Amino acid sequence: MNEFAYRLEDIRYAYPSPTSSFSLELESLRVGPGEILALVGPNGAGKTTLLMLLAFLARPGRGRLEFRGGDPWANEDSVVRARRAAVLVTHHPYLFKGTVADNLSFGLRLRNIPEAERPERLRSALALVELEGWERKSVSGLSAGQAQRVALARALALRPQVLLLDEPTANIDAGLGLRMEAVLREVSRESGTTVVFSTHNFSQASRLADAILYLSEGRRVEFSHENCFSGTAATDGRQSWIEPRPGVRICFPGETHGHVTCVINPADIRLFAADDTAAPSPGRNVFGGRVTRMETTDAAIALVRASGSLTFRIALPVAELEAKGISLSRDVLLRFEPESVEIVGPRTPGNSHD
Amino acid sequence: MIFRELALAIWVSLKTSGLAALVASALAVPAALFLAGRDFRGKRLVLLINQTWMAAPTVVIGLLFYSLLSRSGPLGGLGLLYTQAAMTVGQIFLILPLIVGFSYTALWQVDKRARLTALTLGASRRQAGWVVLREAKYALLIAVLAGFARAISEVGIAMMLGGNIRNATRNITTSIALETAKGEFRNGVVLGAVLLVITLGINLLVQTGLRGRDKE
Repeated sequence: MNEFAYRLEDIRYAYPSPTSSFSLELESLRVGPGEILALVGPNGAGKTTLLMLLAFLARPGRGRLEFRGGDPWANEDSVVRARRAAVLVTHHPYLFKGTVADNLSFGLRLRNIPEAERPERLRSALALVELEGWERKSVSGLSAGQAQRVALARALALRPQVLLLDEPTANIDAGLGLRMEAVLREVSRESGTTVVFSTHNFSQASRLADAILYLSEGRRVEFSHENCFSGTAATDGRQSWIEPRPGVRICFPGETHGHVTCVINPADIRLFAADDTAAPSPGRNVFGGRVTRMETTDAAIALVRASGSLTFRIALPVAELEAKGISLSRDVLLRFEPESVEIVGPRTPGNSHD
Repeated sequence: MIFRELALAIWVSLKTSGLAALVASALAVPAALFLAGRDFRGKRLVLLINQTWMAAPTVVIGLLFYSLLSRSGPLGGLGLLYTQAAMTVGQIFLILPLIVGFSYTALWQVDKRARLTALTLGASRRQAGWVVLREAKYALLIAVLAGFARAISEVGIAMMLGGNIRNATRNITTSIALETAKGEFRNGVVLGAVLLVITLGINLLVQTGLRGRDKE
């Protein structure tokens, strides 16, 4: 068995279009067999581009991409073999004209799966996405969420070694989204399937993934863009600030000019109950708000959303949360050091290369 | 005009135009698939030339091939002038740009994700190409049938390259021209009706195809 499902070294990919200046550059990435990796970042971060590379639908212009110890791009046969092992479900999946069964059978036919085995594969894949008995339904007229589930079933029916998912729960409601997460976890655990998925949702990434790769503007960054703010920087020479909303300042050290985008690591934010005696006094990078969402991860980390003049995501140990008596709807204060603010780009994220 | 002659004229029309549509489609659809699937330098020029070629009058194509196939022409030695083969070749060149143009539009309109989806589900490049063709099959059917209709209804090429030889190269349209020239308007109208019935048959085929697509 290979040590890595994927091994990427010094990868660079740029779109061939002359109008696009976007490029994805990764010094190194390793994905182990059976690992669940989340790609987190804003629009334009390069998540979809990386998934296209991992699905061998685009070839890096530079660098080395190994799949299970070999070069998938060695020849036409090897790339087809690699694609049959790693299946991508796109954000807006395409369903072939015909029925749900036609779609699910497509890849099975290509892999010469015996006809007698196919109905069971279809049935179990559709059951996983909660679409039992939908085999004969026409795909025209399916909602976006149903289409996404059919596309996921189409990939699951193939029982691939790697499942690549571009925002897999983007079009489906929250409850079903959580059940789909459970399905992915189960598929990974029981079949040893490597799962790489992209998401904007830091909470989902934390819940589901063994590892998280944060991306911004085609580069790896150190942490999530959950707390991502943009504005025109002003400076007094020693420190600078942006005002994401009028009168609401985020301060960071050094002299900075022009339009900037910055992020604050959720783990670097200190959270206090508003009536806590240890709570900070109003001042630099101190914000008030109310807890509007809470959840915990398997690693006993609490993910808290606090909304006030700005909305922040804070990650802290569950034990600390309980010790501080913080609960849902509670008024809170939060604080972070100016040094925790990382400038990630000169412009607001959000362009065509997702 | 006796019945046997009429039947033969219909047969010549169906045979030459059907064969022309088949050969032209075999050339045009792969060309359209190539054009729709790739960007290359000069692609717009190729499309422009194709569009212009679509408007070429049948007599101009007839004249071109007449000069090539006539005894003193460069291909005169083949002895094809005034044969059904010459009519077929001329009609192929008449409808080729039409089928390329329609097929290109049909394939270009296929969702770009169809090919990527086929590839990620494990298709080879060739299999993915077939998927794209399958997704556009009804529009491609219309392209082929439009080419056939254009071939069977033209008169310039059939007259110039076939020569309207009785029981040999005379087809429906050259028969209509002859009957009209003789003043036998009634025969001309009957033949015209026959041509319309054949065209109706083609349209029914197209409609059936479209209905099938709507049902999906």
